[in-house]
Amino acid sequence: MSQRVNLDLKQDLIQFGVEDWNECFHCGNCTATCPLTNDGSLFPRKAIRQAQMGLKDSLSANVDPWLCYYCGDCTESCPRDANPGELMMSLRRYLTSVYDWTGLSKLFYTKHWFEIIAVFVLAIVVGLLFSVFNPNQIVYELNAQGGVQINKMFPIHYVHLGDIIMAIIVAFLLISNIFNMWYKTILKLKVKVPFIAYITSIFSLIFHFGTQAKFSKCDTKGKRYWGSHFLLMTGYTIMFILVVAFLPNFQTEKIHEWYHPQRILGYYATFGLLFGLIVMFIGRFRKSSEKFKFSHLSDWLFIIMLFLTTLTGILVHFFRIGGMVDATYWSYVIHLAILVPMICIEVPFSKWSHLAYRPFAIYFDALKKAALAKQYKSKLATAA
Amino acid sequence: MEETRIGVYVCWCGTNIAKMVDVEDVAKEVAKLPNVAIAKDYKYMCSDPGQDLIIQDIKEHKLDRIVVSACSPRIHELTFRKALENAGLNPYMFEMANIREHDSWVHTDRAEATEKAKALISGAINRVKWHESLDKRSVDVHPATLIIGGGISGISAAIEIADSGKKVFLIEKTDALGGTAAKLDLTFPYMYSAQQMIQPKIKKTNNHENIEILFNSELKDLSGYIGNFEAEVNQNGKEIKIEFGNIIIATGLKPFNPSVIDNYGYGKLPNVITSLEFEEMLKSGNILTKEGREPDNIAIIHCVGSRNQDFHEYCSRNCCMTALKFSNQISSALPNSNIYQAYADMRAFGKGCEELYTKTSRKNVIFLMFDQKNGMPTVKKAGPKDKCEMLIEMDEKLSGENVEVPADMVILMVGVEKQEKAKEVGQTVGISLCGNSFYIEKHPKLDPVATTTDGVYVVGSCQSPKDIPDSISQVNAAAARILATINKGSVTVEVTTAEVNEDMCCGCQTCISVCPYTAISFDEEKKVSIVNEVLCKGCGTCGSACPTGAIKSKHFTDQQILSQIEGLMFKSFELQEV
Repeated sequence: MSQRVNLDLKQDLIQFGVEDWNECFHCGNCTATCPLTNDGSLFPRKAIRQAQMGLKDSLSANVDPWLCYYCGDCTESCPRDANPGELMMSLRRYLTSVYDWTGLSKLFYTKHWFEIIAVFVLAIVVGLLFSVFNPNQIVYELNAQGGVQINKMFPIHYVHLGDIIMAIIVAFLLISNIFNMWYKTILKLKVKVPFIAYITSIFSLIFHFGTQAKFSKCDTKGKRYWGSHFLLMTGYTIMFILVVAFLPNFQTEKIHEWYHPQRILGYYATFGLLFGLIVMFIGRFRKSSEKFKFSHLSDWLFIIMLFLTTLTGILVHFFRIGGMVDATYWSYVIHLAILVPMICIEVPFSKWSHLAYRPFAIYFDALKKAALAKQYKSKLATAA
Repeated sequence: MEETRIGVYVCWCGTNIAKMVDVEDVAKEVAKLPNVAIAKDYKYMCSDPGQDLIIQDIKEHKLDRIVVSACSPRIHELTFRKALENAGLNPYMFEMANIREHDSWVHTDRAEATEKAKALISGAINRVKWHESLDKRSVDVHPATLIIGGGISGISAAIEIADSGKKVFLIEKTDALGGTAAKLDLTFPYMYSAQQMIQPKIKKTNNHENIEILFNSELKDLSGYIGNFEAEVNQNGKEIKIEFGNIIIATGLKPFNPSVIDNYGYGKLPNVITSLEFEEMLKSGNILTKEGREPDNIAIIHCVGSRNQDFHEYCSRNCCMTALKFSNQISSALPNSNIYQAYADMRAFGKGCEELYTKTSRKNVIFLMFDQKNGMPTVKKAGPKDKCEMLIEMDEKLSGENVEVPADMVILMVGVEKQEKAKEVGQTVGISLCGNSFYIEKHPKLDPVATTTDGVYVVGSCQSPKDIPDSISQVNAAAARILATINKGSVTVEVTTAEVNEDMCCGCQTCISVCPYTAISFDEEKKVSIVNEVLCKGCGTCGSACPTGAIKSKHFTDQQILSQIEGLMFKSFELQEV
């Protein structure tokens, strides 16, 4: 089946980021300098070509953009200033919208106001939710008693229930999108993946999810970004697990000693998040490396919201230790009002979806290669 | 012969020769050979001190023949001949032994290379003994010039020469001047209007007092030689005789006919047109399909008839940039259209051309690469659901995907071919065509304007596919050459020509049939062949073909060549003993 060359796709792609990739005349410098590209995957050149020609099907089936961690070597070595690195970034946004069956991702990525409004609406809803519970009453009572009683302000079973409902919705969206990704990259193309590969490749899926080992290979400038990203990622994961799965153990009335595991973990997570975010902020402000030169709204929104969430979390912690009832209450509400839209919008529809798509891309890439190897073997067998 | 005194000079050529040949030993050895008065070795014979050494020795030692063993005679024969002339010797009393290209550069054994050098020099010494003094000759030049072809090259040449006050005959086979350039709209890469450039030139040519234009004319017959040509021109069946001293051939090009390529559907699908047809469309100001609709998708296919073993192997040179020019023009006229360039290789050399490519690649253009050998695109009619007139199916090389390209109009970038009558014109004038059917120039690098026939110059696309600036450069070079010879009034002609011994000639006329320069004619009265020394290039073909040995090639006599061989053999026998 021959695919139709479709120049309209270019207009679509421009909405997701850069627009100068048409400068590319396929010298291949980008692929030659890329520290991650290998025999099986020739990025970024192949994806650039598909984008230029508007080959929608080939592009949707291509996992290469997810295998790129944006060290920027390709952009630096490009003789035509076609900016291949940023094209790969834009393609990740495009692919996120391709996998998302709800269509919200495309709206958020391409219509900037829409994303901002959605965040605000969710924030206001969360804020209103706590106003309806008539909090002032509780806060007055606690003020009179002279102490912070966190579980009275925010009854643990309600918050935990809300937590779990949110996690289920987000997980459902994300997992269904991964199924869509699987369909588009493997099933639709009728790639004959040997079943055993599905099992043997799971290890690398988990490994890469936990370590981003490929990122460390790509980060030629002394693993600086890999390190800060790793801190941020582990900090976030620990905090997420504490808050979602173990909230009853985390949000306790008793304030533990500083060396208690709950507090140690909390501090590590906070430090990781802050450190990672500061590196990102400085990078994006100074445009210090290729990967930080172009900042899409989704890039800014992602770090700003995470930073605000972390900051309000820290405030809740210290206000509580300091026994400041009003401040604790309202900082907790603001914390939730930022956290909820962040998770509900960023994780399934926007930048944060990469936490799932990247490891799964490595997984599907391994499956495709296994299929190719099998095909090659059987070809050899028939030839013999 | 006893008094012959030969000077032999062995050059080191820095280390080029001295590294592989023991030049000092060679000089010592050859000094012992008969008639050698003096033998020396020197670092650089071609340098001024080297030449002075020869001049001084000729005067001091009363030398009458010189052998220089150094590089190829192609490089320095003329240098040393001049030195001989300066010393008062006839320049033909000289022979060169090539011990660099033929010896030191190609051998690895120093002892053997040294022996070979001795053999080569011994051959040269034997040959130079039989050299004879030859004198330069000159002929007068007729001040008029004939130009064949009235395209942009022809009329530019005509104006260039006529403006200097010299008479020009301009033969044009059609009834109007301008040629292919007059059919163009804008020109690449700077988008100048072809009409604005060429129309004033046509007007000037038509009204020039020194230019006589013969429309609807063809060259029928040509006789004579440089400075003194005579031609018969057929104008609408009327015979006209003209006389002139030089000829410029500017017959230009013929566009390739794409209907022989089935894949492209030219002649079958109405909206498949050639680049020249599209130029007409651009000149008229409307880009419309045959149905009168503005096309949404325009595909341009490159290399039609060019760079393809089945048609023409060569690159037609103009099509890539013309295609980019089209893209820019379409982009301005129809900004919402999609333009597809199916190309085999993008060739954007030359001033302003890469810039044009860069500029074009930023517009609504996509470049799709195909393989000329296995992946020629196929144009076919689209179905009713396709929302376009035609579909082009191709294996796109850069993506590795099989794709279809929608198109409402397909422009075929047709290549450049020789004119239909190029061969006949070449035969009449006495110049030949190369494998690609373009006229052969005298030297592909050092003299791309002149031909092997003196007084005949080739300019423009009849010599090779060219764009306008390259054609004009060639035109001006040819015009300058011609004006220089006219100004001088006479030209020196080759003296190493053939000579017929009338007593020995049996009148078989074998020489006439083999001469590549039509320099030999037959004297019916005496029944012998006669060599026209002006036309003769001294190639020696007749001399070797002559069954009675009546033809002598000056400076390449049998005796000279046989004694040279003898000299070579003498040394090689000695080598065998070693």
